[in-house]
Amino acid sequence: MSRQTYLPSKPTPSFTGQRALILHRPHATVDAIIRQLTQLGMAGECFWPDLPRDLDAGLYHAIFFDADLGYDAQFSWGAGECPMPAIALVGSEAPGRVAWAIRRGTDAHLNKPVGGGGIYAALLIAHQAFARRQELRQAVGELEQRLAQRELVAAATAALMQAESLSAASAYRRLRRLAMDERLTIEGMAARLAGSQPTGELRHDSA
Amino acid sequence: MTQELPIGVLFSTVGPYASLGREGFLGASLAIAEINASGTLPVRLSAVVRDPKGNTEAYAGLCRSMVEDGGARFIVGCTTSWSRKEVIPVLEKTGSQLWYPCPYEGFEGNDHVVYVGACPNQHVVPLLDYVLERFGANPMLVGSNYIWGWETNRIAREYVEARGGRVQGERFVALGDTDIGRIIEEVRLKRPDFVLNTLIGPSSAAFVEAYWELGQEERAFDPRHRPIISCNWTETEIAALGERAHGHLTIAPYFQSLDTPANARFLATVRRLAPGANHPSAFFAQAYAAVQMIARGVAATGSGDVGRVLEAAKSDTYEAPFGALGIHAETNHAILAPHIARAGDKGGFEVVATTATPIVPDPYLARSANSAERRGPAASVAAGGERGLPYLRVIK
Repeated sequence: MSRQTYLPSKPTPSFTGQRALILHRPHATVDAIIRQLTQLGMAGECFWPDLPRDLDAGLYHAIFFDADLGYDAQFSWGAGECPMPAIALVGSEAPGRVAWAIRRGTDAHLNKPVGGGGIYAALLIAHQAFARRQELRQAVGELEQRLAQRELVAAATAALMQAESLSAASAYRRLRRLAMDERLTIEGMAARLAGSQPTGELRHDSA
Repeated sequence: MTQELPIGVLFSTVGPYASLGREGFLGASLAIAEINASGTLPVRLSAVVRDPKGNTEAYAGLCRSMVEDGGARFIVGCTTSWSRKEVIPVLEKTGSQLWYPCPYEGFEGNDHVVYVGACPNQHVVPLLDYVLERFGANPMLVGSNYIWGWETNRIAREYVEARGGRVQGERFVALGDTDIGRIIEEVRLKRPDFVLNTLIGPSSAAFVEAYWELGQEERAFDPRHRPIISCNWTETEIAALGERAHGHLTIAPYFQSLDTPANARFLATVRRLAPGANHPSAFFAQAYAAVQMIARGVAATGSGDVGRVLEAAKSDTYEAPFGALGIHAETNHAILAPHIARAGDKGGFEVVATTATPIVPDPYLARSANSAERRGPAASVAAGGERGLPYLRVIK
């Protein structure tokens, strides 16, 4: 019987030197989290009830927040806009509380009481989920921007049709060619054409 | 051979929910005294008492001290859910067992806890069933600002909306706060069909008093047409409010006014052994029943082992002051037949409807969904009653 040797494709994930926020009243659960963070080479800072208004979120790499007694005004960012991986500390499984944690934007959760383990896996899952969330957010942003520029593309195509007596399909192909030559997106080229020719008449150096 | 058994009694008899904590303390103490005095069970109990005084952070340490210093493996106690959550890690570490004797918001089922009080399909859901048909489906929700109020109100909102109603407003008050003028003003303006009150302690009393004053000014707020309903009122609170509580509605497995031989015997015991307990409530009777069930389990197994005693309790049917009490094997929650009662004009409650058959606990509302059609099996098998509520038998 053969057995595949486990060869990690990536180095062992490490959080050394990172800082975590803990938004929970002073409690044995906070002590347990800090103990585990210390083992991971991380520093944990506990705040309750509110995060400092002048908090520099960029200095922190994760937040553990209390889902039981938490409320929106504790945070200096809006619901779903947490700027770092977020881990909900869940005591009550009452769906109203869990729904609140989800609304805040949680990437992973830990059941309370927190004991001697769980933090490392929660951080790995939360970082992965946060990264995916960021990627998706960026992709959606780009798509939304392209969607918003549909009118520009349509206008540029129409202008090319008129200026060069082209069919719609040919005009669009022409726009795409221009964009490729200039290493721009179609939307970018359309914006440039519209910007350079506000009157609608198009001039360009074509091959 | 008589077994000696230390039993932990962990209630806050001072602090913001002291009136409820005192009920639990007195009920558990009565059962201990009665068991020791009567000698009908081969068990001799000694109370290991700790009082966290309403301080949530004190519960875990005191629970540990009951187990480690007092030798208690069985603990009867806690009123709020936060305090129960605080002691659970201690129970798990020390292998001890909590008998929790209060109604709560559900969504829990810990192996180390026996839930003797009602969960939502045994309190707010049947109470809403009764009220929605009679007063309308457009309530206002008022609660103390913690999990009991949040979650009970959330369940009520979902239930009301599923029945085509609309919540007119929802307000929360800090624990112990009695400044409720603004909420009363909102009630006056919005004229809800009824008010679900999940306030506890002094906040609840202040609200009932202010509502009574509103009713004196405007007849629209007569409780006969527009009541306050609660799942956590006690006889003591209602006695203190007197005529000002008259006409409001509540639900519980036990009321002092229950007209049964079991309750007559129980009240005689209360008078004999707990003369200070003038108005025993469900909180009192459930703590009493918890101690009785522990002692019966210890007697039946000849053991102080929490696992064996729990197994014995699950196959036991104890004739509690409020009727037959069993522990549901899957959830560790009590199987209960709650009654709906109206506050009388001189304090006290009169039962107006009762559950035809006991309701199986459903702490995650997994079977008793928020629609009348999909209610739990225990409810749907019950027959009789009126107006499409087969499981509620109307008495008055």
